Amino acid sequence: MLEVNFLMRVAFVLGGIFVGINLINYYVLGNSGDYLPGGPRMGEWKQAKIREACYPALESPERDGLLPKLTTNKHRIDWRDLTNAVEMTAALNCYLVTHPNAICERNNRAYIVDYIGRYFLKFDEMMNTARRYGDSEISTVKDLWDSPRNRAINMALMQSATNGRLIKADFGWSVPAAMKPMLDRYTGATDNCPRA
Amino acid sequence: MFRQILTLMLAFVGGFLVVGGWIWGPKISSAVSGLVSAGPSISLFADASRLGRPEVAPVVRSCIFRVLDVGSDASKMEPSAGYFILKAGTMQANISALAGKREDRRSEYGAAAVAIKWGELAQCIYAQDDRELCDPDNRAAMVEATTKFFAFAKQADASKPTIPADAARAMDNLSDKLLNALKNHRRYGTLVAADFGSFAAPEIMRVMREEKETRDICKR
Repeated sequence: MLEVNFLMRVAFVLGGIFVGINLINYYVLGNSGDYLPGGPRMGEWKQAKIREACYPALESPERDGLLPKLTTNKHRIDWRDLTNAVEMTAALNCYLVTHPNAICERNNRAYIVDYIGRYFLKFDEMMNTARRYGDSEISTVKDLWDSPRNRAINMALMQSATNGRLIKADFGWSVPAAMKPMLDRYTGATDNCPRA
Repeated sequence: MFRQILTLMLAFVGGFLVVGGWIWGPKISSAVSGLVSAGPSISLFADASRLGRPEVAPVVRSCIFRVLDVGSDASKMEPSAGYFILKAGTMQANISALAGKREDRRSEYGAAAVAIKWGELAQCIYAQDDRELCDPDNRAAMVEATTKFFAFAKQADASKPTIPADAARAMDNLSDKLLNALKNHRRYGTLVAADFGSFAAPEIMRVMREEKETRDICKR
Protein backbone atom coordinates (compact mmCIF):
# COMPACT_ATOMS: atom_id res chain seq x y z
CA MET A 1 0.00 0.00 0.00
CA LEU A 2 2.85 2.30 0.94
CA GLU A 3 4.59 1.53 -2.35
CA VAL A 4 1.44 2.26 -4.36
CA ASN A 5 1.06 5.59 -2.59
CA PHE A 6 4.68 6.43 -3.27
CA LEU A 7 4.39 5.46 -6.93
CA MET A 8 1.21 7.52 -7.24
CA ARG A 9 3.01 10.54 -5.85
CA VAL A 10 5.98 10.07 -8.15
CA ALA A 11 3.63 9.68 -11.11
CA PHE A 12 1.82 12.91 -10.25
CA VAL A 13 5.04 14.83 -9.71
CA LEU A 14 6.39 13.63 -13.05
CA GLY A 15 3.03 14.36 -14.68
CA GLY A 16 3.06 17.86 -13.23
CA ILE A 17 6.57 18.45 -14.47
CA PHE A 18 5.70 17.17 -17.94
CA VAL A 19 2.51 19.23 -18.22
CA GLY A 20 4.22 22.31 -16.74
CA ILE A 21 7.17 22.13 -19.11
CA ASN A 22 4.89 21.83 -22.12
CA LEU A 23 2.61 24.65 -21.00
CA ILE A 24 5.59 26.94 -20.51
CA ASN A 25 7.09 25.88 -23.81
CA TYR A 26 3.86 26.57 -25.70
CA TYR A 27 2.44 29.65 -23.98
CA VAL A 28 5.46 31.43 -22.45
CA LEU A 29 8.25 30.63 -24.87
CA GLY A 30 5.88 30.47 -27.83
CA ASN A 31 7.47 27.36 -29.34
CA SER A 32 4.21 26.26 -30.95
CA GLY A 33 6.22 24.67 -33.78
CA ASP A 34 7.24 21.87 -31.40
CA TYR A 35 3.63 20.65 -31.39
CA LEU A 36 3.15 20.33 -35.13
CA PRO A 37 2.76 16.83 -36.51
CA GLY A 38 5.91 14.98 -37.58
CA GLY A 39 6.23 12.60 -40.53
CA PRO A 40 8.03 12.67 -43.86
CA ARG A 41 6.59 16.06 -44.90
CA MET A 42 7.54 17.99 -41.77
CA GLY A 43 11.06 18.54 -40.48
CA GLU A 44 12.56 20.50 -37.60
CA TRP A 45 11.29 24.08 -37.60
CA LYS A 46 14.31 25.35 -35.68
CA GLN A 47 16.59 24.30 -38.53
CA ALA A 48 14.64 26.09 -41.26
CA LYS A 49 17.04 27.99 -43.51
CA ILE A 50 14.30 30.22 -44.88
CA ARG A 51 14.13 32.04 -41.56
CA GLU A 52 17.62 33.49 -41.91
CA ALA A 53 17.28 33.92 -45.67
CA CYS A 54 14.38 36.30 -45.00
CA TYR A 55 16.03 38.46 -42.34
CA PRO A 56 16.75 41.23 -44.91
CA ALA A 57 13.01 41.50 -45.63
CA LEU A 58 12.49 42.48 -41.99
CA GLU A 59 15.33 45.00 -41.75
CA SER A 60 13.38 48.09 -42.78
CA PRO A 61 9.79 47.17 -43.55
CA GLU A 62 8.79 50.85 -43.46
CA ARG A 63 10.47 51.26 -46.87
CA ASP A 64 8.15 48.73 -48.46
CA GLY A 65 5.09 50.67 -49.58
CA LEU A 66 3.14 47.47 -50.28
CA LEU A 67 3.07 46.31 -46.66
CA PRO A 68 0.07 46.97 -44.35
CA LYS A 69 -0.58 50.64 -43.68
CA LEU A 70 -3.20 52.41 -41.64
CA THR A 71 -5.69 54.29 -43.78
CA THR A 72 -7.03 56.46 -40.98
CA ASN A 73 -5.89 58.20 -37.82
CA LYS A 74 -9.09 57.35 -36.00
CA HIS A 75 -8.45 53.82 -34.78
CA ARG A 76 -7.82 51.84 -31.59
CA ILE A 77 -4.92 49.74 -32.83
CA ASP A 78 -1.99 49.47 -30.45
CA TRP A 79 1.39 50.23 -32.04
CA ARG A 80 2.68 46.79 -31.02
CA ASP A 81 -0.15 45.11 -32.95
CA LEU A 82 0.52 47.38 -35.90
CA THR A 83 4.23 46.51 -35.85
CA ASN A 84 3.42 42.80 -35.58
CA ALA A 85 1.01 42.98 -38.52
CA VAL A 86 3.64 44.68 -40.69
CA GLU A 87 6.50 42.40 -39.69
CA MET A 88 4.51 39.18 -39.97
CA THR A 89 3.26 40.16 -43.39
CA ALA A 90 6.80 41.03 -44.55
CA ALA A 91 8.13 37.72 -43.24
CA LEU A 92 5.36 35.50 -44.62
CA ASN A 93 5.52 37.31 -47.94
CA CYS A 94 9.20 36.42 -48.09
CA TYR A 95 8.59 32.78 -47.10
CA LEU A 96 5.77 32.18 -49.57
CA VAL A 97 5.94 34.75 -52.35
CA THR A 98 9.61 35.71 -52.72
CA HIS A 99 10.75 32.10 -52.20
CA PRO A 100 7.84 30.03 -53.53
CA ASN A 101 9.79 26.76 -53.42
CA ALA A 102 11.04 27.18 -49.86
CA ILE A 103 8.00 25.32 -48.55
CA CYS A 104 9.11 22.17 -50.37
CA GLU A 105 11.98 21.63 -47.94
CA ARG A 106 10.87 19.71 -44.80
CA ASN A 107 12.38 22.03 -42.17
CA ASN A 108 11.15 25.13 -43.98
CA ARG A 109 7.67 23.64 -44.29
CA ALA A 110 7.48 23.04 -40.53
CA TYR A 111 8.58 26.61 -39.84
CA ILE A 112 6.29 28.15 -42.45
CA VAL A 113 3.26 26.12 -41.31
CA ASP A 114 3.86 27.34 -37.76
CA TYR A 115 4.26 30.92 -38.99
CA ILE A 116 1.02 30.75 -41.00
CA GLY A 117 -0.72 29.77 -37.77
CA ARG A 118 0.77 32.76 -35.95
CA TYR A 119 -0.13 35.09 -38.81
CA PHE A 120 -3.80 34.15 -38.75
CA LEU A 121 -3.84 34.09 -34.95
CA LYS A 122 -2.63 37.71 -34.89
CA PHE A 123 -5.29 38.69 -37.42
CA ASP A 124 -8.01 36.97 -35.37
CA GLU A 125 -6.75 38.59 -32.17
CA MET A 126 -6.85 42.07 -33.74
CA MET A 127 -10.31 41.43 -35.18
CA ASN A 128 -11.59 40.29 -31.80
CA THR A 129 -10.31 43.50 -30.21
CA ALA A 130 -11.81 45.57 -33.05
CA ARG A 131 -15.25 44.00 -32.56
CA ARG A 132 -15.51 45.76 -29.20
CA TYR A 133 -15.39 49.11 -31.00
CA GLY A 134 -17.86 48.48 -33.82
CA ASP A 135 -17.97 48.39 -37.60
CA SER A 136 -15.62 51.28 -38.27
CA GLU A 137 -12.80 49.70 -36.27
CA ILE A 138 -13.46 46.29 -37.84
CA SER A 139 -13.12 47.78 -41.30
CA THR A 140 -9.91 49.60 -40.27
CA VAL A 141 -8.34 46.31 -39.17
CA LYS A 142 -9.61 44.52 -42.29
CA ASP A 143 -8.14 47.27 -44.49
CA LEU A 144 -4.85 47.04 -42.64
CA TRP A 145 -4.62 43.31 -43.38
CA ASP A 146 -5.63 43.79 -46.99
CA SER A 147 -2.42 45.33 -48.32
CA PRO A 148 -0.99 44.13 -51.67
CA ARG A 149 1.44 41.93 -49.70
CA ASN A 150 -1.40 40.31 -47.73
CA ARG A 151 -3.27 39.64 -50.95
CA ALA A 152 -0.14 38.10 -52.46
CA ILE A 153 0.17 35.88 -49.38
CA ASN A 154 -3.46 34.77 -49.75
CA MET A 155 -2.82 33.91 -53.40
CA ALA A 156 0.32 31.96 -52.49
CA LEU A 157 -1.56 30.06 -49.79
CA MET A 158 -4.30 29.20 -52.24
CA GLN A 159 -1.72 27.97 -54.75
CA SER A 160 0.10 25.95 -52.10
CA ALA A 161 -3.18 24.25 -51.19
CA THR A 162 -4.05 23.66 -54.85
CA ASN A 163 -0.75 22.02 -55.67
CA GLY A 164 -0.47 19.97 -52.49
CA ARG A 165 2.47 21.85 -51.02
CA LEU A 166 0.29 22.50 -47.99
CA ILE A 167 -2.22 19.96 -46.75
CA LYS A 168 -4.55 19.90 -43.78
CA ALA A 169 -2.47 17.27 -41.99
CA ASP A 170 0.54 19.65 -41.92
CA PHE A 171 -1.31 21.84 -39.42
CA GLY A 172 -2.31 19.02 -37.08
CA TRP A 173 -5.03 20.09 -34.67
CA SER A 174 -4.49 23.81 -35.21
CA VAL A 175 -5.67 24.51 -38.76
CA PRO A 176 -6.34 28.27 -39.07
CA ALA A 177 -10.06 28.86 -39.67
CA ALA A 178 -9.29 31.00 -42.73
CA MET A 179 -7.39 28.14 -44.36
CA LYS A 180 -9.79 25.29 -43.60
CA PRO A 181 -12.07 25.81 -46.64
CA MET A 182 -9.21 25.93 -49.14
CA LEU A 183 -7.43 22.94 -47.59
CA ASP A 184 -10.68 20.96 -47.53
CA ARG A 185 -11.40 21.88 -51.15
CA TYR A 186 -8.10 20.56 -52.43
CA THR A 187 -7.82 17.47 -50.23
CA GLY A 188 -5.86 14.80 -52.04
CA ALA A 189 -3.92 17.23 -54.27
CA THR A 190 -0.52 15.80 -55.19
CA ASP A 191 2.57 17.63 -53.98
CA ASN A 192 4.16 19.21 -57.08
CA CYS A 193 7.43 20.18 -55.41
CA PRO A 194 10.49 19.78 -57.62
CA ARG A 195 12.20 16.48 -56.77
CA ALA A 196 15.85 16.65 -55.89
CA MET B 1 -9.67 12.42 0.45
CA PHE B 2 -8.76 16.05 1.18
CA ARG B 3 -5.16 15.04 1.91
CA GLN B 4 -4.93 13.19 -1.39
CA ILE B 5 -6.24 16.16 -3.36
CA LEU B 6 -3.83 18.44 -1.53
CA THR B 7 -0.90 16.12 -2.25
CA LEU B 8 -1.88 16.00 -5.89
CA MET B 9 -2.10 19.78 -6.13
CA LEU B 10 1.18 20.30 -4.31
CA ALA B 11 2.88 17.75 -6.53
CA PHE B 12 1.76 19.62 -9.63
CA VAL B 13 2.56 23.08 -8.32
CA GLY B 14 5.86 21.98 -6.80
CA GLY B 15 7.00 20.16 -9.90
CA PHE B 16 5.98 23.06 -12.08
CA LEU B 17 7.70 25.67 -9.93
CA VAL B 18 10.91 23.76 -9.33
CA VAL B 19 11.58 22.53 -12.83
CA GLY B 20 9.91 25.34 -14.77
CA GLY B 21 11.40 27.99 -12.51
CA TRP B 22 14.88 26.51 -12.68
CA ILE B 23 14.97 26.12 -16.44
CA TRP B 24 13.00 29.12 -17.58
CA GLY B 25 13.04 31.46 -14.59
CA PRO B 26 14.95 34.28 -16.29
CA LYS B 27 12.79 34.15 -19.42
CA ILE B 28 9.57 34.03 -17.41
CA SER B 29 10.61 36.99 -15.29
CA SER B 30 11.46 39.04 -18.36
CA ALA B 31 8.14 38.09 -19.95
CA VAL B 32 6.29 39.10 -16.79
CA SER B 33 8.16 42.39 -16.50
CA GLY B 34 7.30 43.09 -20.13
CA LEU B 35 3.69 42.47 -19.30
CA VAL B 36 3.85 44.76 -16.28
CA SER B 37 5.48 47.61 -18.16
CA ALA B 38 3.16 47.32 -21.13
CA GLY B 39 -0.22 46.65 -19.56
CA PRO B 40 -2.51 49.25 -18.08
CA SER B 41 -1.62 49.91 -14.45
CA ILE B 42 -5.14 50.53 -13.34
CA SER B 43 -6.98 48.85 -10.53
CA LEU B 44 -7.38 45.10 -10.85
CA PHE B 45 -10.67 45.42 -9.01
CA ALA B 46 -12.18 48.00 -11.31
CA ASP B 47 -15.16 47.17 -13.51
CA ALA B 48 -13.76 45.90 -16.80
CA SER B 49 -16.62 47.41 -18.80
CA ARG B 50 -15.89 50.89 -17.39
CA LEU B 51 -12.16 50.85 -18.01
CA GLY B 52 -10.67 49.99 -21.38
CA ARG B 53 -7.23 50.26 -22.93
CA PRO B 54 -5.65 53.63 -22.09
CA GLU B 55 -2.87 53.41 -24.69
CA VAL B 56 -5.32 53.52 -27.61
CA ALA B 57 -7.66 56.13 -26.10
CA PRO B 58 -8.61 58.98 -28.47
CA VAL B 59 -7.79 61.51 -25.72
CA VAL B 60 -4.26 60.09 -25.54
CA ARG B 61 -4.02 60.58 -29.30
CA SER B 62 -4.84 64.28 -28.85
CA CYS B 63 -2.75 64.84 -25.74
CA ILE B 64 0.32 62.63 -25.60
CA PHE B 65 2.60 64.65 -27.87
CA ARG B 66 1.72 67.89 -26.08
CA VAL B 67 3.22 66.31 -22.97
CA LEU B 68 5.95 64.15 -24.44
CA ASP B 69 8.59 65.78 -26.62
CA VAL B 70 9.85 63.24 -29.13
CA GLY B 71 11.03 65.85 -31.64
CA SER B 72 10.32 65.38 -35.31
CA ASP B 73 9.37 61.73 -34.74
CA ALA B 74 5.99 62.83 -33.37
CA SER B 75 4.47 62.91 -36.87
CA LYS B 76 5.66 59.37 -37.63
CA MET B 77 5.04 57.85 -34.22
CA GLU B 78 1.79 56.20 -33.19
CA PRO B 79 0.33 57.92 -30.08
CA SER B 80 0.13 54.52 -28.34
CA ALA B 81 3.92 54.26 -28.75
CA GLY B 82 4.28 57.69 -27.12
CA TYR B 83 2.14 56.50 -24.23
CA PHE B 84 4.37 53.44 -23.93
CA ILE B 85 7.45 55.71 -23.73
CA LEU B 86 5.84 57.68 -20.91
CA LYS B 87 5.10 54.43 -19.08
CA ALA B 88 8.64 53.18 -19.65
CA GLY B 89 9.98 56.39 -18.07
CA THR B 90 7.63 55.81 -15.16
CA MET B 91 8.96 52.28 -14.70
CA GLN B 92 12.48 53.67 -14.57
CA ALA B 93 11.48 56.14 -11.85
CA ASN B 94 9.76 53.30 -9.99
CA ILE B 95 12.90 51.18 -10.14
CA SER B 96 15.01 54.09 -8.84
CA ALA B 97 12.60 54.47 -5.95
CA LEU B 98 12.64 50.73 -5.26
CA ALA B 99 16.44 50.78 -5.28
CA GLY B 100 16.08 53.11 -2.31
CA LYS B 101 18.48 55.83 -3.42
CA ARG B 102 16.66 58.49 -1.42
CA GLU B 103 19.74 60.65 -1.09
CA ASP B 104 20.15 60.85 -4.87
CA ARG B 105 18.96 64.29 -5.91
CA ARG B 106 18.35 63.23 -9.52
CA SER B 107 16.05 60.36 -8.58
CA GLU B 108 13.96 62.68 -6.42
CA TYR B 109 13.72 65.18 -9.24
CA GLY B 110 12.95 62.21 -11.52
CA ALA B 111 9.83 61.45 -9.47
CA ALA B 112 8.75 65.10 -9.68
CA ALA B 113 9.35 65.19 -13.45
CA VAL B 114 7.34 61.98 -13.94
CA ALA B 115 4.55 63.35 -11.73
CA ILE B 116 4.43 66.55 -13.79
CA LYS B 117 4.28 64.62 -17.08
CA TRP B 118 1.35 62.49 -15.90
CA GLY B 119 -0.29 65.55 -14.35
CA GLU B 120 -0.04 67.46 -17.62
CA LEU B 121 -1.49 64.51 -19.49
CA ALA B 122 -4.37 64.30 -17.01
CA GLN B 123 -4.94 68.04 -17.28
CA CYS B 124 -5.01 67.86 -21.07
CA ILE B 125 -7.50 64.98 -20.91
CA TYR B 126 -9.74 66.88 -18.48
CA ALA B 127 -9.67 69.85 -20.83
CA GLN B 128 -11.44 67.78 -23.51
CA ASP B 129 -15.21 67.54 -23.67
CA ASP B 130 -16.60 66.05 -20.43
CA ARG B 131 -18.46 63.34 -22.34
CA GLU B 132 -15.16 62.02 -23.69
CA LEU B 133 -14.75 60.23 -20.38
CA CYS B 134 -17.82 58.11 -21.12
CA ASP B 135 -15.57 56.09 -23.43
CA PRO B 136 -13.93 53.25 -21.42
CA ASP B 137 -10.50 53.76 -23.08
CA ASN B 138 -10.56 57.51 -22.36
CA ARG B 139 -11.72 56.87 -18.81
CA ALA B 140 -8.91 54.34 -18.29
CA ALA B 141 -6.36 56.87 -19.56
CA MET B 142 -7.78 59.48 -17.19
CA VAL B 143 -7.71 57.12 -14.23
CA GLU B 144 -4.16 56.03 -14.96
CA ALA B 145 -2.84 59.56 -15.50
CA THR B 146 -4.50 60.88 -12.33
CA THR B 147 -3.44 57.91 -10.20
CA LYS B 148 0.16 58.12 -11.41
CA PHE B 149 0.30 61.88 -10.89
CA PHE B 150 -0.72 61.62 -7.25
CA ALA B 151 1.50 58.59 -6.60
CA PHE B 152 4.64 60.29 -7.94
CA ALA B 153 3.72 63.65 -6.45
CA LYS B 154 3.61 61.96 -3.04
CA GLN B 155 6.99 60.37 -3.69
CA ALA B 156 8.49 63.70 -4.75
CA ASP B 157 6.79 65.51 -1.88
CA ALA B 158 8.62 63.35 0.64
CA SER B 159 11.82 65.11 -0.44
CA LYS B 160 10.43 68.58 -1.04
CA PRO B 161 13.47 70.62 0.08
CA THR B 162 15.64 68.98 -2.57
CA ILE B 163 13.39 69.42 -5.59
CA PRO B 164 13.39 72.75 -7.43
CA ALA B 165 10.82 75.27 -6.22
CA ASP B 166 9.27 75.67 -9.67
CA ALA B 167 8.71 71.89 -9.93
CA ALA B 168 7.07 71.87 -6.48
CA ARG B 169 4.86 74.80 -7.50
CA ALA B 170 3.91 73.11 -10.78
CA MET B 171 2.90 69.97 -8.88
CA ASP B 172 0.79 71.97 -6.42
CA ASN B 173 -0.98 73.74 -9.30
CA LEU B 174 -1.62 70.49 -11.12
CA SER B 175 -2.88 68.88 -7.92
CA ASP B 176 -5.44 71.69 -7.37
CA LYS B 177 -6.64 71.59 -10.95
CA LEU B 178 -6.92 67.81 -11.05
CA LEU B 179 -8.83 67.66 -7.77
CA ASN B 180 -11.30 70.22 -9.11
CA ALA B 181 -11.73 68.28 -12.32
CA LEU B 182 -12.15 65.06 -10.34
CA LYS B 183 -14.93 66.67 -8.29
CA ASN B 184 -16.76 67.68 -11.47
CA HIS B 185 -16.45 64.25 -13.01
CA ARG B 186 -17.58 62.60 -9.81
CA ARG B 187 -20.73 64.77 -9.94
CA TYR B 188 -21.25 64.04 -13.66
CA GLY B 189 -21.01 60.30 -13.00
CA THR B 190 -18.13 59.88 -15.44
CA LEU B 191 -15.79 58.73 -12.66
CA VAL B 192 -16.69 56.60 -9.65
CA ALA B 193 -14.63 55.39 -6.69
CA ALA B 194 -14.43 51.84 -8.08
CA ASP B 195 -12.56 53.14 -11.13
CA PHE B 196 -9.59 53.94 -8.91
CA GLY B 197 -9.68 50.74 -6.84
CA SER B 198 -8.87 50.51 -3.15
CA PHE B 199 -5.26 51.65 -3.25
CA ALA B 200 -5.63 55.07 -4.86
CA ALA B 201 -4.12 58.22 -3.30
CA PRO B 202 -6.07 59.54 -0.27
CA GLU B 203 -6.76 62.82 -2.13
CA ILE B 204 -8.58 60.93 -4.88
CA MET B 205 -10.53 58.74 -2.46
CA ARG B 206 -11.57 61.77 -0.42
CA VAL B 207 -13.09 63.42 -3.49
CA MET B 208 -14.80 60.18 -4.50
CA ARG B 209 -16.22 59.79 -0.98
CA GLU B 210 -17.27 63.38 -0.28
CA GLU B 211 -18.74 64.33 -3.66
CA LYS B 212 -22.03 62.86 -4.79
CA GLU B 213 -23.23 62.08 -8.27
CA THR B 214 -25.82 64.66 -9.33
CA ARG B 215 -26.40 63.45 -12.90
CA ASP B 216 -25.08 60.93 -15.36
CA ILE B 217 -23.89 62.72 -18.46
CA CYS B 218 -23.13 59.40 -20.14
CA LYS B 219 -26.81 58.43 -20.25
CA ARG B 220 -28.41 59.45 -23.48
